[in-house]
Amino acid sequence: MPFSTTLYNTFFRRNSIFVPTLFVGAFAFGIGFDSGVTAFFDRWNKGKQWKDIRHKYVEAAEEE
Amino acid sequence: MAFNGLKKAVTLTPCVRTLPSGVPAAPLLNLAARAPADHGHGASGPRVDVTPRWAGGVSRSSSGLASKSYVTLPSTTPSTARFLHTSVAVKDAPQVPDFSHYRANDNDTNRAFSYFMVGSLGLISASVAKSTVAEFLKTMSASADVLALAKVEIELATIPEGKNVIVKWRGKPVFIRHRTQAEIDEARETNWQSLRDPESDEQRVKKPEWLIMLGVCTHLGCVPIGESGDYGGWFCPCHGSHYDISGRARKGPAPLNLEIPAYEFNDAEGKVVIG
Repeated sequence: MPFSTTLYNTFFRRNSIFVPTLFVGAFAFGIGFDSGVTAFFDRWNKGKQWKDIRHKYVEAAEEE
Repeated sequence: MAFNGLKKAVTLTPCVRTLPSGVPAAPLLNLAARAPADHGHGASGPRVDVTPRWAGGVSRSSSGLASKSYVTLPSTTPSTARFLHTSVAVKDAPQVPDFSHYRANDNDTNRAFSYFMVGSLGLISASVAKSTVAEFLKTMSASADVLALAKVEIELATIPEGKNVIVKWRGKPVFIRHRTQAEIDEARETNWQSLRDPESDEQRVKKPEWLIMLGVCTHLGCVPIGESGDYGGWFCPCHGSHYDISGRARKGPAPLNLEIPAYEFNDAEGKVVIG
């Protein structure tokens, strides 16, 4: 059986499976999208954020 | 007088069109007709503008001359259908283009792909809707600076055993009592089921030696005085409510026990965080 037929029979054939699949997929997509954008933001601003430069200042404060 | 109406002048529209060159257009007038060549100065030849015989003409009949113009002319082409020809076959709908190039090769793949695209749109729409609602609800929650101001940290090591400390938290006094073992025993041995607001001491404290509660009398909101009253706890001077060493209402008009705020112990730093 080709892949498209399997896909149709598994997810698309019944609305009772199609709609919950959409909701679960939207949840997973939201998490993936957030983490992806956050990873891109951290990489783009590498070395500028507090968590990147924190070790310079916190260690100095503890030594004093 | 009656004829005046009939004598009105009527301006008729010109019935001929003027060509751009200024010549009146007369479609039925043959301007190319020429006069006979010799114009009466010799033998007259046949006219060049003679109408063809199929268009009509003058004929002689029994009643004299008759002029006749044929309106419906006979066909000049053969009227019978041609049965042998080389033209292309007539289609049922000759104007419809050929769509076979655009048709899907495989119906199953096409169907799965269509549903996949519909599902993808629905998935993204659901995600957008969820994100919209979530971000809107986030605007209602307190921001981080407000949350930071709403907490109070107290060093527990600075409070000796058997002493009260009153701190201010969100504009209200909070009593912190470092109870002795005798006070703990007293609070736990009380027959709390018969009290006005029955609560056991275990329900009111997280650690038995630390009693933390709001210092607001549950009657009308005065601040009770510590280490006084008939039960060794708190006494409200306004209307004479007595609270025991667990902060429970024992005597007087107070209807409820002293309220317990939300608090957490930070064992690593020896602090309690109220809020």
